[in-house]
Amino acid sequence: MVEVKLKLKKKPDFPLEAETITPDKFAGKSAAEIKKLVLYHGNEEKTIGDFFNVTGTGGEVSDTKIILDGDLSNIKRIGEKMTGGEIVINSNVGMHVGNNMSGGKILVNGNADDWAGAMLKGGELEITGDAGHYVGAAYRGFWKGMENGLIKVHGKIGNEALTWVTGSKPAKRFPTLICGGAGSFLGIHSHGGTIIVEGNCDRCIGADQIRGTIVVKGQISRILPSFKKIGEVKEIKLMSGEKIQGKFIEYSGDHSVEKNHSKIDKKTGEISNSANGRLYVAA
Amino acid sequence: MSINNLILITCRTINQGVALEGGKNTKENVRAAGICAFDKEDFKKLDCLVGTPVKVITDHGEVVVYSTISEEGPHPGIIFIPMGPWANQVVNPDSQACGTPTYKGMKARVEAIPSGKVLDAVNLIKLLREA
Amino acid sequence: MADKNIRTVTDVICPFCGTLCDDLEIDIDIKEQKVIEVRNGCQIGTRKFFSSNPSEHRYNKPLIKDNGAYKEVSWDEAIDKSADILVKAKRPLLYGFSSTECEAQGQAVELAELLGGVLDNTASVCHGPSLLAIQDVGAPTSTLGEYKNRADLVVFWGSNPVHAHPRHLGRYSDFIRGYFRKDGTNDRFIVVVDPRNTNTAQLADMHIQINPNEDYELLNAIRAILRGVELDIDEISGVPKNKIIELVNALKSCNFGVIFFGMGLTQTLSHHRNIDAAICLTRELNDHTKFLLTPMRGHYNVAGANQVFTWQTGYSYSIDFSKGYPRYNPGEFSSVDLLMKDEMDACLIVASDPASNFPAAAVKNMFKHPLITIEPHHTPTSVNSDIILPPAIAGIECEGTAYRMDSVPLRLRKVKEAPGKCLTDKEILERLVEAVRSKKGE
Repeated sequence: MVEVKLKLKKKPDFPLEAETITPDKFAGKSAAEIKKLVLYHGNEEKTIGDFFNVTGTGGEVSDTKIILDGDLSNIKRIGEKMTGGEIVINSNVGMHVGNNMSGGKILVNGNADDWAGAMLKGGELEITGDAGHYVGAAYRGFWKGMENGLIKVHGKIGNEALTWVTGSKPAKRFPTLICGGAGSFLGIHSHGGTIIVEGNCDRCIGADQIRGTIVVKGQISRILPSFKKIGEVKEIKLMSGEKIQGKFIEYSGDHSVEKNHSKIDKKTGEISNSANGRLYVAA
Repeated sequence: MSINNLILITCRTINQGVALEGGKNTKENVRAAGICAFDKEDFKKLDCLVGTPVKVITDHGEVVVYSTISEEGPHPGIIFIPMGPWANQVVNPDSQACGTPTYKGMKARVEAIPSGKVLDAVNLIKLLREA
Repeated sequence: MADKNIRTVTDVICPFCGTLCDDLEIDIDIKEQKVIEVRNGCQIGTRKFFSSNPSEHRYNKPLIKDNGAYKEVSWDEAIDKSADILVKAKRPLLYGFSSTECEAQGQAVELAELLGGVLDNTASVCHGPSLLAIQDVGAPTSTLGEYKNRADLVVFWGSNPVHAHPRHLGRYSDFIRGYFRKDGTNDRFIVVVDPRNTNTAQLADMHIQINPNEDYELLNAIRAILRGVELDIDEISGVPKNKIIELVNALKSCNFGVIFFGMGLTQTLSHHRNIDAAICLTRELNDHTKFLLTPMRGHYNVAGANQVFTWQTGYSYSIDFSKGYPRYNPGEFSSVDLLMKDEMDACLIVASDPASNFPAAAVKNMFKHPLITIEPHHTPTSVNSDIILPPAIAGIECEGTAYRMDSVPLRLRKVKEAPGKCLTDKEILERLVEAVRSKKGE
């Protein structure tokens, strides 16, 4: 891989909008050309060169690896819309990292702010620390959110992750989130997302879920009244076909939503097994 | 005396509405918004007269206000402070990324402070300037 | 006998809350240009009209802070210095706008765009979550007149109209006689969902005393029961299961229901998701009967600010212009969040009082930077400002359009002249736009 290294040389007074820091925008450019790319600082148009020292030259998109050093906690939109290549961020990072990404890989060696991986279309976003709210979520007013790709957060995430996520078995799109712990409203309005929480999470998990799977290996504060306990299982089969072993209690839900295929038979009260909305909590 | 494990709600009252239209920097406003209303039974645990200044403490700050008995009880375990500068010393400024702070539902505890001083709006907010 | 020194104005719109009552009568002393009597208004509206009379609490000349004290200056100087501050700022915040009329709000959009700043209104701390939910799942809604004539079941969820919208029950939702509700309150079933036994709950036919911060779970349970699901638990959010079933049966069996909701849903944990669930519930109730919902907007023209901002930018609040075009994201561009991070470097506050209504930590950061206020009365925000620009009070001293809580536009009247040298909000903002343009060399 061809490396381009950026080191923050001046601390910004306001958040920097840095959607030009992507392998796509760096591809085939020299360090001097990269330095001229635009960044917004408050209402002023600035350049990458105003805030970063740059070394290296961009190669092909899929071959370009961008390494960022310095305190980037106030830098937003890194990796926006990228289609390939790699970005390594060696600090905490600001909002919207990797939003609308469709390929490639971003590694954040630190915490990420809100909206990490929003509207993800593919590729991989890995965060070694914690992440904020709206991980992999849909932006305001969009009723389709994350479509594909993998988000992995080693630490805890906030609320409302993967809102309006749309996965599809026939189209082989399995948008997935793996996290160490979560807040509330995980997977709200999910249409086929896969969420695995290695630790504990808060309330209202799987609210308005229509299709998809949520696996909680720790504890949930409170399960929604509209989720029905089906039984105990020793193995979970995810939408993608992958299997998770372990003792879990299986719930179907969210039965407050009309579109949920987990229909309840009006005569027998039985839950139809063509159901797809599922919540598994460690037994 | 003190009470723990309370939930604080902040809200509009008609008196606070009248006072804010009349002059936010007046004594009327202190009496309308610089107060904390208790459930009748809860208040007995404080063992003090109605009107005694109390200190309301949450994870986000503390403020001294006049105590009063709620006319909208019973609501054991809940106290309320009308919206305004006093309430805003103790509300949760975190909006969970939706933009609106969480003005209601904070965990709180209360101590009776008979010698406490309830500041008027101007002096209360002046503290924010100097800090 | 009519007194020729007194002018009576009828059909005056009250500029206080979102109920926007349109039947006030104001008596004006013509010579003194003072309000002498207000009829039909509630306590708060009446007080607002009286407070427009000249007093020690009312500004009537532009003021600039000089060595800790305020000195009177001309409008030209005040506008010039304000424009200086705003043009130099790299991240200015323009906030408020809910207590002024629509044409002034339109000027604010132009100013924010010119400055490349952030434009926000009080919905950001109030019904912003309602707008977020409507953007996600829509809203089956109607006008207050329809509710007055048709609704036989009225739910107040997290709303206390006796205190916050005092004439709402009397004009639209409980006591009033409607076309199909000729027996007034006897033809209506009122439900109140609130953690406290509020004065509104005391008037209600059914009070659901819910635990604070657990509204989503209760809405979820109601929706599930509506769909025929048997609940596994006996108590949800502090409410016994059979009481919830009783409520669901009442909701299903009315002829025309309406949910009015307020800060109890928007300002507690889960904010907009509470409204999301309430909207979905309302929609689902239409499988059984007719059901609609309306947010109880607080300020008399916050709905108008949302309307005007939306026509002109596509977005209703928390709008960022720093890149030259409008972008919208509450949580990122909302005033309190921006101030908590100390991201702004100058503020223009119009028709609102954030020093009283924002959390203390946000106010602390707001005071660190230049502060310009367009405000008729002494407020905690204005007395800490660097520049005070006194406006005529919209709806009393200035005509304009305001939008009611159900988005019906009504024309505000001018009943008297403004005191001193006050200009209307619209004129002040127009002058600021002109001054900013000339300083930017456009």
